[in-house]
Amino acid sequence: MNTLAEQFSTTSALSKLKKTQALLEDEEMSDAMWGSQAGFGNVAQGSPSFAVPAVPDPSAFLRLHTDDRADPNCKIKIQHGTTTLAFRYQGGVIVAVDSRATAGSYVASGTVKKVIEINPYLLGTMAGGAADCQYWETYLGMHCRLHELRNRERISVSAASKYLSNLVYSYKGMGLSMGTMICGWDKTGPAIFYVDSDGTRLKGDLFSVGSGSTFAYGVLDQGYHWDMTDEDAQELGRRSIYAAGHRDAFSGNTCNLYHVKEDGWRFIGNYDLSKLHYDGPNNVPGAGYGYDIRIAGRASALQPAVAAAA
Amino acid sequence: MANANGGAYSYSLTVFSPSGKLVQIEHALAAVAQGTTSLGIKASNGIVIATEKKASSILVDDSMLDKVAVVCPNIGIVYSGMGPDFRVLIGKARKSAQAYWKMYGEYPPTRVLTQELAAVMQQATQSGGVRPYGVSLLVAGWDITRGPTLHQVDPSGSFWAWKASAIGKNMVNAKTFLEKRYNDDISLEDAIHTALLTLKEGFEGQMTEKTIEIGIITVPSAGELEEEKPGERPKPTFRKLSEEEVRDYLAL
Amino acid sequence: MEYNGGSVVAMVGKDCVAIACDLRLGNQALGVSSNFPKIFPITDRIYLGMSGLATDLETLRERFRFRVNMYTIKEEREIEPQTFAHLVSSTLYEHRFGPYFIEPVIAGLSKTPSGDLKPFIAAADLIGCLNFAKDFVVSGTASAKIYGLAEALWEPDLEPEDLFETISQTLMNAVDRDAFSGWGCLVHVLTKDKVITRTLKSRMD
Repeated sequence: MNTLAEQFSTTSALSKLKKTQALLEDEEMSDAMWGSQAGFGNVAQGSPSFAVPAVPDPSAFLRLHTDDRADPNCKIKIQHGTTTLAFRYQGGVIVAVDSRATAGSYVASGTVKKVIEINPYLLGTMAGGAADCQYWETYLGMHCRLHELRNRERISVSAASKYLSNLVYSYKGMGLSMGTMICGWDKTGPAIFYVDSDGTRLKGDLFSVGSGSTFAYGVLDQGYHWDMTDEDAQELGRRSIYAAGHRDAFSGNTCNLYHVKEDGWRFIGNYDLSKLHYDGPNNVPGAGYGYDIRIAGRASALQPAVAAAA
Repeated sequence: MANANGGAYSYSLTVFSPSGKLVQIEHALAAVAQGTTSLGIKASNGIVIATEKKASSILVDDSMLDKVAVVCPNIGIVYSGMGPDFRVLIGKARKSAQAYWKMYGEYPPTRVLTQELAAVMQQATQSGGVRPYGVSLLVAGWDITRGPTLHQVDPSGSFWAWKASAIGKNMVNAKTFLEKRYNDDISLEDAIHTALLTLKEGFEGQMTEKTIEIGIITVPSAGELEEEKPGERPKPTFRKLSEEEVRDYLAL
Repeated sequence: MEYNGGSVVAMVGKDCVAIACDLRLGNQALGVSSNFPKIFPITDRIYLGMSGLATDLETLRERFRFRVNMYTIKEEREIEPQTFAHLVSSTLYEHRFGPYFIEPVIAGLSKTPSGDLKPFIAAADLIGCLNFAKDFVVSGTASAKIYGLAEALWEPDLEPEDLFETISQTLMNAVDRDAFSGWGCLVHVLTKDKVITRTLKSRMD
């Protein structure tokens, strides 16, 4: 990774980092640390900078100590469990996510916002490293605004996602962990791009990302049609997140639902998965999504043995 | 078939005679009947087991002679018959009691230990290349479920619970004597005296603290039991009487 | 322990004990069953809860059934909770170098010498180290979280219904913070004259 050529190149993120770090080491406090420009203080100097491990090969060092698929025993753990989904259809884009954050088996939070509102027309979803997603998608929002100011028109979803993709690619191998969907509406209509920290960038109609994605796909695939009504589309998103939250240990708590249309995104609602299980989205007792709720009293063979005994 | 040499069914392997007897076991019982007398009496508040011990010569240092043995804090055994066989059985009994303790965190009830010993003795009646044990045992013990109990085990491996019993040389006379003297609400003190009187019946020579051995079970009171904490060493319910104590009982 | 997930807790009350478990059976992150009880009656007044590897749970359940049946036949008496706890410990330590991946929890009422019934709880690690606690014992993937709630909610001498509320709140709120436990709960409260058994409605995510 850290080849000889890279050490002497002037354009790689790594060499930039090293240079900025050298600068930072001269001063006790950088401008960025004062927070005068919302944490993106050194954008003025070109690109954001980070403190990098003071070792000859920071990339290799990070790979050794940061969470990675290759090494489950590493020191720094990053939240991986999640379910996020987005799909494109006749009426726009539906974005639905769960809200659980886990640290190992511990449910660290049940109220995480996994949809990042980049600007009124763009949404990003969060899977993988929470901080990585939050930071880089906010940073992306900043550049989208600069694009608007420079070009007198909104950035396309394609361009925005490519900007992010290129950005994370420059940090490849340093432990960034993101699996995100950039969703929005531009001149071409509704659009979704999948971007991850490996550098993958895919255009598509339907994506689900995270540990619960397989469960979400199951519901999503069988219910998806291009010509759905808005109500059906929203219900499909909600129902898919419920399915994942139910089966996947690392997903759950609540579902956040967004709908992107021509005039930008709209927050539809926050749904407690427990309520969805028992009472469904309209809060009607016994009308829940839960399998045992739907068959309650109808299949004698499926009565829980313990309940029957009591 | 039980002639002087035991006939054709008396060697090595224990096998049935055509009349349905195991002659080896009868021989073992004969060995027990040659042993010194032992007896046990269950009282309302305990048990006494006692035996006569005889050294073959006055030159023997009898301080090492032990016929009443402690198996575990709640069980003691006395025997009549062959000393070496008894020591083997005591070794197995103690091991078995410790194994039980390791498994359940408490010492075995009297019946369980008796069963275990009986099984060992029974095995010797149908295994190849072994002979039956030449001893009868009186097992005295106390446990929470059954209280004080007295069991007898014979070389065949059969066992019974008794209110009072005797084994060894004078067992027939001793039993007759006990039958006359026994009643259900006899106290431990009275039982000890009855035991000594019974032994005296067929005693050859002088009864002293050197020629008599006594072990007693005392039933713990409800208060003592409540005090006992799990995990703590249980207070022994079986103990052997010291020579001084035996001397005092003989003097009365 | 995190392969199948699951948690058990037991608590002492006034002349009663309670034992509770979740109902989830998982295959790592995937929830497989929401009707997998982890508590079993051993005698009329001993309940055994086990959390850990489900296959070992089934095996041990049969092993304990065998050993307790042999004990009752041989000794012609019911096994006491104390004695059973030692039996569990011995059985687990027999496999010291290739253990069953199970952390047992025992709740029962033991006979005192005077004939009274006294609450008894105990837990052990997977190789049989016994823990005779006087308040509560825990096991499973949510054990740390249960400790937290039990430490806050439990108090001495709770009556059966109050003990039921305490153990239910403890377990339900603990498993909601554990990814590998939940999907319903089961509670038993043992009193001198009856056993109260209830299933709890809980979050299903």
